[in-house]
Amino acid sequence: MVQRYGLDIAGGAEYHCRLVAEHLSRHAQVEVFTTCALDYVTWANHFPEGTETLNGLPVHRFRVKRPRDTVRFARASREVFGARRGEREELAWLEEEGPFSPRLVREVERRRAEFDRWIFFSYRYYTTYHGLRAAADRALLVPTAEDDGVYDLEIFRPLFKAPRAIVWNSVEEKAMIEAATGCAGVPGDVVGVGSALPERLDPAAFRASSGLEGPFVLYVGRIDENKGCRELFGHFRRYREETGSQLRLALVGKAVLPIPADPGIVHLGFLPDAGKWNALAACEALMMPSRYESLSMVTLEAWWAERPVLANAKCAVLRGQCQRSNAGLYYSSYDEFRESLALLEADATLRATLGRNGRRYFDTHYAWDVVERKYLALLDEPTKGSVA
Amino acid sequence: MSFEIQSKDVDVEAIMRGIRERIDEKRKGLYSDDEIREIADHRLDAVLDAHEFNPDFIKDFRSQEARWNFIFGKDTVYESSRGTVGTILQTIRGVLKPVQKLFWNPNPMIAALSRQSDLNDYYVHLLHNLALEVTKLNLEVQELRNRSLELQGRLDFQVRREKTLEQMVVYRDDAPDGRPAE
Repeated sequence: MVQRYGLDIAGGAEYHCRLVAEHLSRHAQVEVFTTCALDYVTWANHFPEGTETLNGLPVHRFRVKRPRDTVRFARASREVFGARRGEREELAWLEEEGPFSPRLVREVERRRAEFDRWIFFSYRYYTTYHGLRAAADRALLVPTAEDDGVYDLEIFRPLFKAPRAIVWNSVEEKAMIEAATGCAGVPGDVVGVGSALPERLDPAAFRASSGLEGPFVLYVGRIDENKGCRELFGHFRRYREETGSQLRLALVGKAVLPIPADPGIVHLGFLPDAGKWNALAACEALMMPSRYESLSMVTLEAWWAERPVLANAKCAVLRGQCQRSNAGLYYSSYDEFRESLALLEADATLRATLGRNGRRYFDTHYAWDVVERKYLALLDEPTKGSVA
Repeated sequence: MSFEIQSKDVDVEAIMRGIRERIDEKRKGLYSDDEIREIADHRLDAVLDAHEFNPDFIKDFRSQEARWNFIFGKDTVYESSRGTVGTILQTIRGVLKPVQKLFWNPNPMIAALSRQSDLNDYYVHLLHNLALEVTKLNLEVQELRNRSLELQGRLDFQVRREKTLEQMVVYRDDAPDGRPAE
């Protein structure tokens, strides 16, 4: 069960869910329960209600009763994260956050016994909170939690103790949530997710289609302030100005933030999967400026493509991944950004070594056979003595 | 690039340590962005006029939003804080809402106050960033002034040394064999 589902939905948790569902279907009969929403801001109904088949899996969609009112949600957020805070306000906030689909929750209640296991993605949404409580004894939770403080809300403490098992994305996520909610007794494992890997990489094809010449670093994802892109633009422009570097920054993804008119920054728009992989193969390094990540699939993909990563050190998950893999550098200030990028730009041997380390790390932890094996072990986890 | 990776097997943490050392060396006593931010948060009175600024005002604003800002929704004007009586009063006001709308239209006022509440939030952020930048500039000016004084001192010393050496050269030129000093 996930808040949105579709072949064109690029959101981290949603894409994560689709990959896991499709891979687990080799081992079990899998069905998907989701809403009719496409847009993650408003949750407006986009897909028709009912069942359709996507990549061989039945997908049951339920209407969102009320799209998100951003003003009401902002007000509820101010109350919950400000002075007024109680269970009533937190539940009201959750309803405002959405996707508010009581029909989906009722369907989980009605059909909970038809399935041996329910896997819920993203702890923070209305659908997961109420759906998981309806099928807790059969539930696995994939929290995809970021260090944004939402997990500190009181309503989530019992939620994390409710499922049979928790599928963590990283050791940092596990430590953070266990410390905040006291769910250390719940079985679980750090699993993450694999990726839809390409048959081959063709950097020349990317160069030809994009017209991009010379060395460049790459950002892939939504171009958004929340993803750290504004800071990245500032740092990168200052870097070029101070060092005289000819390095360029190529951006792949939908822009919801104005992109500065600068010869060093090139927006390539949304690319199909093959284009993204070829861009990864052609770049010098991947930039990952986001402060809030629970895994960052694109970082893992860059490592599979043997490219180093320059990540925001303020994100504990990214910093930890870089340290464990020995495949990326990280920065917490402009000075560190400048020195790290200068080092990566100047030293091809270092880039190649970091890239090789990344590939090894990916193959060891995020190859699909490893991920599937961990999921299957958690799905077989014996029932807990008491269920919240 | 003076900072080089020697080994083929890299250790990212060691590289990052090296990078930080290099930054420290370059900075030579200047504050980092993070240090400036920290100082701006905790020692604002040290660099701004204490009579005009409360050093804890940003922290206060952030932690107790309900005390300085208001939350204004479409039903705020009809609410009551008198417990059970208030609930009844609120219900009556709700019932009479269509009647009072015959006399005046509260919607523009509700929209304006709601917007003002949002604007108050933005102003605090703006004020905070402004104070941060002023603090940063103050610190940088102080640091540059200190460095300027230090450089002036070194320059004075070099000028004095140069004059002394020139005098020595002239003195040796006056030597009987006419050769300048080596």
